[in-house]
Amino acid sequence: MERTEEEEAPAAKDPNASLPSPTYRSLAAPVTKPVDKFALLPAFLKVRGLVKEHIDSFNYFITKGIRNIVKANNRIEARNNPSIFLRYNSVRVGVPSVQVQYIAEKITPHFCRLTDRTYSAPVLADIEYTVGKQYELKRKPNFIIGYLPIMLRSHACVLNGKDEAELARYGECPLDPGGYFIVKGTEKVILIQEQLSKNRIIIDTDSKGRVIASVTSSTHEIKSKTVIFMEKEKIYLQLNQFTKPIPIIVVMKAMGMESDQEVAQMVGRDPRYGDLLYPSIQECAFERIYTQKQALQYMDDKVMYPGAGNQKEGRSKSILRDVFVAHVPVESGNFRPKCIYTAVMLRRMMDAILNADTFDDKDYVGNKRLELSGQLISLLFEDLFKTMNSNAVELMNKTSEKIHSSPLDLSLHIKENIITHGLERAISTGNWDIKRFRMHRKGVSQVLSRLSYMASLGYMTRITPQFEKTRKTSGPRALQPSQWGMLCPCDTPEGEACGLTKNLALLTHVTTDQEEGPLMNLCYSLGVEDLSLLSGEEIHASGSFLVMFNGLILGKHRQPQRFANAMRKLRRSGIIGEFVSIFVNEKQHCIHIASDGGRVCRPLIIADKGIPRVKEHHMKQLRDGIRSFDDFLRDGLIEYLDVNEENNALIALYEHEDQDDVQRSSITHIEIEPLTILGVVAGLIPYPHHNQSPRNTYQCAMGKQAMGNIAYNQLFRADSLLYLLVYAQRPLLTTKTIELVGYDKLGAGQNATVAVMSYSGYDIEDAIVMNKSSLDRGFGRCIAMKKYTVTKEKYEGGYSDRIVKPQRDKDGALLKQNMRALDEDGFAAPGLIIRNHDIYVNKQTPRNTKRDSGAHLTDRDYKDSPAVYKGVDGETTVVDRVMLCSDTDEKLIIKCIIRHTRRPEVGDKFSSRHGQKGVCGTIVQQEDFPFSERGICPDLIMNPHGFPSRMTIGKMIELLGGKAGVSCGQFHYGSAFGEPSGNADKVEDISRTLVKHGFSYNGKDLLYSGILGHPCQAYVFMGPIYYQKLKHMVLDKMHARASGPRVLLTRQPTEGRSRDGGLRLGEMERDCLIAYGASMLIFERLLISSDPYQVQVCRKCGLLGYYNHKLKASYCSMCKNGENMAKMRMPYACKLLFQELQAMNVVPRLKLTEG
Amino acid sequence: MDPQQPEPVSYLCGDCGAENTLKPGDVIQCRECGYRILYKKRTRRIVQYEAR
Repeated sequence: MERTEEEEAPAAKDPNASLPSPTYRSLAAPVTKPVDKFALLPAFLKVRGLVKEHIDSFNYFITKGIRNIVKANNRIEARNNPSIFLRYNSVRVGVPSVQVQYIAEKITPHFCRLTDRTYSAPVLADIEYTVGKQYELKRKPNFIIGYLPIMLRSHACVLNGKDEAELARYGECPLDPGGYFIVKGTEKVILIQEQLSKNRIIIDTDSKGRVIASVTSSTHEIKSKTVIFMEKEKIYLQLNQFTKPIPIIVVMKAMGMESDQEVAQMVGRDPRYGDLLYPSIQECAFERIYTQKQALQYMDDKVMYPGAGNQKEGRSKSILRDVFVAHVPVESGNFRPKCIYTAVMLRRMMDAILNADTFDDKDYVGNKRLELSGQLISLLFEDLFKTMNSNAVELMNKTSEKIHSSPLDLSLHIKENIITHGLERAISTGNWDIKRFRMHRKGVSQVLSRLSYMASLGYMTRITPQFEKTRKTSGPRALQPSQWGMLCPCDTPEGEACGLTKNLALLTHVTTDQEEGPLMNLCYSLGVEDLSLLSGEEIHASGSFLVMFNGLILGKHRQPQRFANAMRKLRRSGIIGEFVSIFVNEKQHCIHIASDGGRVCRPLIIADKGIPRVKEHHMKQLRDGIRSFDDFLRDGLIEYLDVNEENNALIALYEHEDQDDVQRSSITHIEIEPLTILGVVAGLIPYPHHNQSPRNTYQCAMGKQAMGNIAYNQLFRADSLLYLLVYAQRPLLTTKTIELVGYDKLGAGQNATVAVMSYSGYDIEDAIVMNKSSLDRGFGRCIAMKKYTVTKEKYEGGYSDRIVKPQRDKDGALLKQNMRALDEDGFAAPGLIIRNHDIYVNKQTPRNTKRDSGAHLTDRDYKDSPAVYKGVDGETTVVDRVMLCSDTDEKLIIKCIIRHTRRPEVGDKFSSRHGQKGVCGTIVQQEDFPFSERGICPDLIMNPHGFPSRMTIGKMIELLGGKAGVSCGQFHYGSAFGEPSGNADKVEDISRTLVKHGFSYNGKDLLYSGILGHPCQAYVFMGPIYYQKLKHMVLDKMHARASGPRVLLTRQPTEGRSRDGGLRLGEMERDCLIAYGASMLIFERLLISSDPYQVQVCRKCGLLGYYNHKLKASYCSMCKNGENMAKMRMPYACKLLFQELQAMNVVPRLKLTEG
Repeated sequence: MDPQQPEPVSYLCGDCGAENTLKPGDVIQCRECGYRILYKKRTRRIVQYEAR
C-alpha cells in the first residue's frame, strides 16, 4: 500500500506535465482538428424529433392516404337503378370539435383528457348525388362522413406549430412529444408493429428442413403468400387456393411459358441449375402436360373450391393472375413478368441449395417493415368506409324497390356512426378486426404509461413483434448486427418478451410511402432495360444486374455501379426523395430500390475518400441559425441510409485523422455521434460502455418505473394514478441524450451522497441503509395522487341519481362521522383531510328505476349509495381537487383527486442508473452515520458486494464525476462512447479536478465511525450518485389479514390484496414447514384458517351424507339409513372436489379409521 | 362550530377562473366563458397538517 502511494506521488506532484507531442505518418499532411458535429443532433431532433415517425405516419394518412381511399371508392349507386348515385369529390379532415346540442364546439386535447371525451375531428367530403324522381343533381359541400380521432401534434391537431406560451395556454406541456390519441379521456398509443417485408423473396427452411422461397404479396386488394419448395428433388408451388402442391413446371406452362428450354434459360444457363430443374421437368412430362391448356386443366382439378367452375377462363387462371405473386401485375393477359419473377425465385432457391451462404435471415432488420399508426388507421378507415357505403347501397336498394316512396336520396343513408364508432372502438380496445384481409389483431393500441417522463417516451419508440411471446426460440430474440444505429441494443424487457419487443434508437426515422411512378421512369431513363424486351439469355448475362423496385422487377442494367451512383447523386441533390434506398447486392446480382413505407433509416455524414463533407464553416452556420438540418440534406452533406443500403457503405465512428489518406480512403460515411446507437431510455445511463451489458438493460426497465416529474402540467391532469417526487433533481453527471430529450427539465431522481462500505447487517442482499435526517430533509419524498370518479347516472323514465348534503341532527352535528369531509353540496371539499372509510360524494340512487315515468320521488324512494374512500388507516390523505364536468351523454361526472405525501420507509425500493436496485433495509439516525473529515455525512450506504459480480464500472465513474461536479460547480458528461469527442469526461480529467479541490484522486475519503467516533480502518469510496425512487412502495404492497371475505363457490379466502384476500401458503412454504417439523401449522393454515367444514361420512359405503336438522339425525342417501354415519372435518374445497368428481361419474370413497 | 348560515358553495372555472354557483339540474358550464369544467373551491375550514 505505501509503495503504491509512493509510486503515484510523483504523478500528483506534477499535474501539468505536458503530453508527448503527437507523431504523424505523413509529416507533410496538414493537421486538422476534427469538426465538432454534435450540434447536428438537436437540429435533427427539431426536424425529425422523437416520435416524429408516429406523427409523420399519421400526417401522411390525413393528407394523402384518406384521399386515395375515398378516390378509389368514390361512387356508389343503387343496384337496380344506376341513375341514383352519390359521388365523393374531395375529402379532408376538419378542425377537432365535438357536437354539443347540434353546435360544433372546438376542443383541445386537455379538455378531452379531463372530460373523458375523444379528441377527434370531422371528416368532411364534398358530395354530389341525385335526388327525387327526376334524378336532379345536387351538391353538398362539407358533408360529415365520420369523426376521426386525431393524433396529438399532427397537422390536424390544434397544438401543431404552437410555441411554449401557447401550449401552456392550452394546458399542455411543451416537452410532451405527442404522437398518441385521446379516446374517451384515455391516452392511447398505437404501438409500432414489426413484420416481415411484403413483396420480397425470402429464402428459408421450413420445419421439415426443406428449402423454400416465399413471398408475401400485398396489394391494395389482396394479401397472399406464395411458397415454392423442393421435396424429393422436385419443385412445387404451394398456395392456399390449391388442395395439393402444384409442380412448378405446370405453373410455368399454365402461365404461357410452354417451352422447357425457355424455363431453363430463364432460371440460368449454369448446368447446376439445369440439373436441379431436370427432375421437375421430367415429372411434368410424366403427367403428359405439354400445353398451356393442359396445364390449366390440371390445375383446375386441384382448386380448393371448384364451385365456380362455370367461369369461362377457369378458376386456376384467375388464381394465377390475382393470387399467385399478387404484387406482379398482369396487363392484358401478359403473364411474362410473373414467369420471370418465378424464375428469379427458383434461381434464388437453387443458389441456396448449392451454397448455404445465400439463405435469407428472417431476423435481418432490412427484411422487416414497421407498421405505424397511419397505416393501421388507414386499413381500418378503408374497411369502415366501404362498410358504410355498402350499407347505404343496401338501404337504397330496399327503398327504391318500393313503389311511390320518396325521396330517393342516397345521402340520407350515409351513417356517420359507422366510421366514428368503429375507429373509436378499435383504438379504445386495441382490437383490429378487418374482414377483407382476415386480420384479427389484439393489443395494437395500449394506454400510454404516465408513470414517468421516460416511460412515456419509451412507449412511443417501442416496437412490438408479431411472434407469440411464449416461444423460446432464440433467433428473433438475438441482437442483430443490422440493428446497429437503428434499434437500441439495450432497451428490451426481461422475461417473456426479451429481444422481441425492441425500441428505436435516437436518430432512427421510419419512412412513409413515396410515389413510385416518377421513380420508375427515372430508372428507365438512367439505362434500365425493360423486362419485356429481354430474353432469358439476356436476363442473367454476366456483369449485368437485375433492378428490383419495391420487390418488383423493372429490368436489367449493364453498368450497375454507375447506375447506383447516379441514383445516389440525384438523391443527395434532392431531386428524388431523401428516403429512397439504393442497395447493390453483389451476391444476388441485383440492385434493390426501395421507396416503400416502414423502413428504418438514419442520417449519416457523407465522406469522400474518408474526408467528411461537413466542415467547420457549415457547423458555424448551423450554430448561428443560418443553416438548418434540411440544408445539410439539400447540399449533399448528409444523407439517410436504411439497413440494406448500409451494406454498401463503410461507416466510421470517428474521423480518424491519425490515419493517412490511403488508409481511410474506403470510408464512405461517418457517424454524426456514436451515442446515437442507443435509444432514448438507454441514453440516461452515464458511461454505459463501461458497464456490463445486462446492467444497462435492467436500467432501461427501471428508468421507466422511477418517480419524478412527468410533465409541466402534471398538477392539472387527472390521471388515475400519478406518482411525483417532491424534490426531483437533475443528475450531476449527465449525458448529452438527457439534454436532447428534456430529461434534465423533468428529472426523476435525486443526487444522493453514497458511501460504499459495510454498515450493520441491514444492507444484506442489495439493501441500502438510509440516513434519517436525509429523509427529514426530503430525500425520496413522493406524492401519490389517485383519481376517483363518480357518475350521476340517469335511468329510464327521467329518473337519475341525486347528491345530497350530509345528514345532521337537530343540533347540527353529523349523524355519521365519516361524512366529515363533505360540504353542503355533498362533495368533499378540496384541502380537507380524508381518512379511510370516509365518504367523498354523498350520492343516492332511486330504489326502483323502472317505475312509471312522471311520478315524483320522495326521500323514501332513494337509497344511499355513497362513494367511500378506501385507504390505509392512520395515513393522512388530502382531497387535492374536485372537478365537475359532463360527459358525452350529458351526465354529471365528479372527479376527486386525492393526494398522499409519502416519506420513504423500510422496504421502499431505490435504484441507481446502472441496474443496481435495492430496498431500504433500515433507517439510521444521522448521529450514528459515518462522517468525513469535512463533516459530510452520506445519505445512504451501499453494500460493496454490489459491484464485483455486476461490473458496473460506469457507476464508479459516475461517483467520481458527480464528486468533481459538485466541487467545481459544473455538470460533467458521461455520454456513451463519448470520450474521444469530448461528450464524456475522462477519468484522468475527473481525477485532476478532484485533486485540485482537495479530494483524493480515486474518490475515497477518510470516514469516522458515527457510533464509536474513531476513524475507520479503510478509506471509503464516497460521493454523489443519482438515485431513482421506484414505484414499488411498502404502502401499496403491505397486506395482512386475520379474517375476511371468502369466495362463494369454494368458501376459501379471496385472492389478492385489493380484495382483502388471504396470504398464500405455497408449496415451497409447505416444504419449509415440513422440514421444520411444524406439521400442525400446515394443518392450521390449510384447514382452520381457510375453509373448515363438517361433513357426515357413511362408514359403510364411504360417501358423503347430510345432517337433517329437523330430525337431528344424520342420513346416508346411498344406504338409505343413518346407522353408520360419522362426523369429520375437512376443507370445503375438498368436499366440493368430491361432489364435482361424482358429477363426472367418478366415485371417490372415504375409508375412515379411528382418530 | 361556525354559527353562521353556510354560504353557497362556489366553483371556479377551469379556463378563466371565474366563480360560479350551481343549483341542482344546472348545466356544468361557466357563465363567463362557457368552459365546461368547473373546480370546487378550496375549503374554508381550518385544516391541521402534521409536518413530518
